[in-house]
Amino acid sequence: MGNLGLSIAASGLDAQQAVMDTISQNLANASTTGYVSENANITTLPGGDALGIGGGAQVGTVTQASDGLLQANASQTSGALAQVTALQQVLTSAQAVFPEPGSNGISAQLSSFWQAWDTLAQNPSDSAGGAQVVDLAQNLTTALSQASGQLTQLQDSAQSQLGSVVGQTNTTLAQVAELNTQIVAAKGSGADPNALIDQQNRLLSTLATSIGAVSSTADNGSATVRVGGITLVQGSFADTLQVSGAPGSMAITSASSGAALPTTGGNASGLLAAINQYLPSYQSQLNAVANNLASTVNTQLAAGYTATGASGAANPLFTGTGATGLTVNPAVAANSQLIAASGTSALPDATNDGSNAQAMANLYDAPGGPDLTYQAFIQSLGTQVQTTNNQVQAQTSVANAAQANLQAVVGVDPNQQMVQMLATQQAFQASAQLIQTVSTMMQSLLTAV
Amino acid sequence: MTDIMGGAITYTPSIIANQLVSNINTDQTEQAALEEQVSTGNAVNQPSDDPAAAAQILQINAGLARSQQYSTNATDGLGWLSLGNSTMNQILSALQSAQQAVLSTSGTQLTGNPNAIQSLATQVKSVLKEVTQLANTQYGNQAIFAGTGNVTTAYDANGNYVGGGSAPTRTVGPGQQIPVSVTGPAVFGTGTTGLLSTTPGNLGVLAQIASDLSTGTTASLTQVSTTDLQNLQSAISQVENQAAVLGANYQQMQAFQQQATGTQQALQSELSGIQSANLPQAVTQLSQVQNSYQDALWATSKVTQDSLVQFLS
Repeated sequence: MGNLGLSIAASGLDAQQAVMDTISQNLANASTTGYVSENANITTLPGGDALGIGGGAQVGTVTQASDGLLQANASQTSGALAQVTALQQVLTSAQAVFPEPGSNGISAQLSSFWQAWDTLAQNPSDSAGGAQVVDLAQNLTTALSQASGQLTQLQDSAQSQLGSVVGQTNTTLAQVAELNTQIVAAKGSGADPNALIDQQNRLLSTLATSIGAVSSTADNGSATVRVGGITLVQGSFADTLQVSGAPGSMAITSASSGAALPTTGGNASGLLAAINQYLPSYQSQLNAVANNLASTVNTQLAAGYTATGASGAANPLFTGTGATGLTVNPAVAANSQLIAASGTSALPDATNDGSNAQAMANLYDAPGGPDLTYQAFIQSLGTQVQTTNNQVQAQTSVANAAQANLQAVVGVDPNQQMVQMLATQQAFQASAQLIQTVSTMMQSLLTAV
Repeated sequence: MTDIMGGAITYTPSIIANQLVSNINTDQTEQAALEEQVSTGNAVNQPSDDPAAAAQILQINAGLARSQQYSTNATDGLGWLSLGNSTMNQILSALQSAQQAVLSTSGTQLTGNPNAIQSLATQVKSVLKEVTQLANTQYGNQAIFAGTGNVTTAYDANGNYVGGGSAPTRTVGPGQQIPVSVTGPAVFGTGTTGLLSTTPGNLGVLAQIASDLSTGTTASLTQVSTTDLQNLQSAISQVENQAAVLGANYQQMQAFQQQATGTQQALQSELSGIQSANLPQAVTQLSQVQNSYQDALWATSKVTQDSLVQFLS
């Protein structure tokens, strides 16, 4: 009886020590990113005794806490957060291109431009009035083309950011495939795969935030990574991604199948939305403002005449189209007398007539004119930035909650570990006490003999 | 926060830390937005703060610039009109002195007094010269009676009108254009019934009087006191009529200037209603956010301290 008791107590000591080791590992990694709390599962050892007493305890496996649903939810929400955050960054920069409401914005410059026509109307024969109109027109074309240039820069930087996201994603995909092979091999050979699994989890959550990838893990530990039904990693296979197409229809495509990824989450998705949808739309609205300005001004000029009675149609103030293409007609810039300020072609009446310039000044609030078009553009830009800001805020709470839910299961809770440690310590002490008791029993028996 | 597991959630230090950091970030963002409001005094500093208000502010600013321009236009117009009025007064007093001269010929006592007649003729000629000069009065460097047809000159040396078109106008309100002058022919008439012509064979009223006085015959002096005097009187009343037009325009212009100022004030108050931050509210919110920011910082500093570990020794 003594031998059996001792060996059972010894197995208890071993098992409790393994549990202590696990607790120690958990506490050491309490703040390690991607670390999943481990649990040493103690099972009973079958005994050979005829009475049916067992053979003690042993540590069967050390398993990792996991919850597939919470994991998927955390990945999905972090991908959604990454998407709106990436979009928010681009849109906030786009909004900064237009310092409205303010005294330096295009709106204020339009006001000054219209006011210059009034000044011209007061003294049409004075070349200063015409020169001022030309100056302010040039300021406007410069402001429009600068704003357009800044939007183009944003577009370029969003594209290069997308390129680097895709580049990093390719590296990560290859690493996941590599880990798949290692984990399957480790499990097969009975080695501890937990550290590899932690690393795998970290990479999978990176993929969720970069391209909104959804992953699932098979029983053998091999992870499969998908984006909208397209498989990017399976077993030891890793696809590579590339950016293709022009802005407006830019997409991330799979190198192996050539199919475009239907991204709905992650940085890449936010950047693609900015590149394909938001920035081109801002660019085209800005172009519409520029074209509207040119046609409004040139049409009014065409209805007027110069001081010598020549039709204004021959000398438009603006030439070219689009925010970058719009320029002040060089002929008019060189000779502001070509500005058709007069409302009549009759001579000498046209000599000092400013009625067409007056009519021009009144266009400041023309329905469908450049000012109103620009105001509508600013409002829609502001609304989109505001919407994105709100989405980021909402998505942050959702992602935090999902992360908290997941951490509650897979994270290390020191209090819980401490309680477990106390229990283990007591069990260990009890087993040690048992050894001593058996030893005392044996000694007293020996003394009696 | 929905608990997917259906049971009480375990809060690990890393969850608590994450949430505290998230709270601190939120507080900081709010604090920055409120500080911007308080420091600029504006509730709308970028379109995303309030897109509809931002568009409205742009529209009001444009309207404000426009009504400021109306006011500027009216000031310019008032300058033209007040110069026009004072010029008209000078013209009238010159013409009245000519009228005095003509009236003094109505008796026959002047016949046989050539010196007196010649001196009257000289007086009328100098009135003609003065009125012609006044007819070329300039505001800035623009002749006020030349219409739009000539920049600097309304009448040439022979008293012929060289201007053209109608009187210039100023826009002083939406669709409101007020003439800031009258044209030469409207004031001074034309041809033989006009005041200024000195072209032989087509003498204007003043030149005709001077010529008739110079002739000095009984018949010509009778002509002066009858036809010429009648013509002069009707010319004077024409000038008076046009002076009244300028006076009326001046008043109208003033009224529109006041209206523009009123519009500006209304727009300003509308603008500050939309744009201005509610400072007491913003400051109160700011101090609330600062408090909660400090609380979050304090909580963060305590995050790892309270654990079972401390109580086991």
